[in-house]
Amino acid sequence: MDWLERYRRIVPDFEDFKAAQQRRLLPSARINLLKTERSRAMEHLEEEGAKARPFEWYPLGLQLDSERAGKLRANLLGYIHIQEELSMVPPLVLDPKPGERVLDLCASPGSKTTQISQMMGNRGLVVANEPSLSRIAPLRSNCERLGALNVAITRYDGRRFPRGPFDKVLVDAPCSSEGRARRDPKVLSRCSPKRSLDLQRLQIGLLKNALRLARAGGLVVYSTCTYAPEENEMVVESALNEARLERISIPGLRESPGITEWDGSDLSEELSCTARYYPHMNDTGGFFVARLIKN
Amino acid sequence: MPGSSRTRNFFEPLERSEVAAMWRERFGIPESAFDGYRFYRKAQSVWVVSDVDLPGLSYEALGMRMMDLKGRVWKPTTCALQVFGRLASRNMVHLDDDQARAFLAGGTQEIESATEPGYAVVFYRGEVLGCGLYSRGRLISQIPKEMRSAGCQEGDET
Ligand SMILES: C[S@@+](CC[C@H](N)C(=O)[O-])C[C@H]1O[C@@H](n2cnc3c(N)ncnc32)[C@H](O)[C@@H]1O
Repeated sequence: MDWLERYRRIVPDFEDFKAAQQRRLLPSARINLLKTERSRAMEHLEEEGAKARPFEWYPLGLQLDSERAGKLRANLLGYIHIQEELSMVPPLVLDPKPGERVLDLCASPGSKTTQISQMMGNRGLVVANEPSLSRIAPLRSNCERLGALNVAITRYDGRRFPRGPFDKVLVDAPCSSEGRARRDPKVLSRCSPKRSLDLQRLQIGLLKNALRLARAGGLVVYSTCTYAPEENEMVVESALNEARLERISIPGLRESPGITEWDGSDLSEELSCTARYYPHMNDTGGFFVARLIKN
Repeated sequence: MPGSSRTRNFFEPLERSEVAAMWRERFGIPESAFDGYRFYRKAQSVWVVSDVDLPGLSYEALGMRMMDLKGRVWKPTTCALQVFGRLASRNMVHLDDDQARAFLAGGTQEIESATEPGYAVVFYRGEVLGCGLYSRGRLISQIPKEMRSAGCQEGDET
């Protein structure tokens, strides 16, 4: 059976959701103000014949009509960074400020790390953590290409990252990636309840440690690119005795509230403060984001 | 600093003035360009990072790799030139459209320039493209493989 059928009861306008999976998704990119100005980046794109349309909800985000986005001069010079549209949401929810101390617990390839660094104007510190050796190189090269100079890279298992405190922590967790199906339909063939439950164990470990590392009153953002409640609301629920949730809403972007019931079991009502993003609602991929304030 | 035999495998702080003097000597970049940054040496590389206190952790990388000290003369990285090279007043090479394209693809080309032999800041329309090696009328692109316009992989997953 089609794996996404399990979400028929929780996704609004499910047939539209299904239909959206088949539609092509244009590449998207973020303008990198650490290296250039918006007008300069746009000039380069225009000269190379890449049509760029800014997102309504985020003027630094661009939809690109180009077959070779990664090879554009603007990308090579670090004036833009190829990044999924919804991947730009968690840093906005984290809202890092210049001078703060921020931890990005699952960082490679650094799309969010570098966006965070840009929001901080290269001031303060972003610790970008990534345990996988082979994923350190792309993280490093993206930080260098984009001129993110307030980033320090570490290589701990996120569940055992040793010490804080940090003002803000982002947990962009490894997940079953169902929300990437419009780019790569094969992700769905790897999905199973067992896989989601295995990932859940890792995700809970990561979120628990993130809360330990945040200062009292500090912010932890948990995000995934999957629809599976096992990896989303059920992970966040495990942390609700240590934190409270704040509602997420990004003007110009349509979200669906986190679910409070799954598979016949009730979940905490508070989870409706989290946000689910579906492909058919904004013509994007899929994402889940939660904003937790540590007690 | 170049040629010294320090090869310790941890990030060792360097004086800003020591690094700035090298960039002033080769490229005429004023020391003030480096205000607001810290410098570290690890093995044969110099790293530059925003001026901030680093918590006691074990680091893989700090900011950006800025200089390579392996060779007979030190070599600036392309990324560091893109950040600090704009203020250069010597050892610059200016390219036209076709030359810039060849340079970004990683090529070697004949260029006439008054540049001294060695590493140069390569400009195109007032913007820094990166590091080139100039020698006997030839400019050899030092753009790292993953940044070249030929053979660069399609963007990131997320
Ligand atoms: C969704 S990706 C992160 C994408 C990244 N935040 C970005 O925006 O470019 C999840 C990352 O978590 C890493 N990861 C896997 N296990 C981990 C662990 N135990 N601790 C921390 N990170 C882990 C994976 O290697 C992967 O790079």
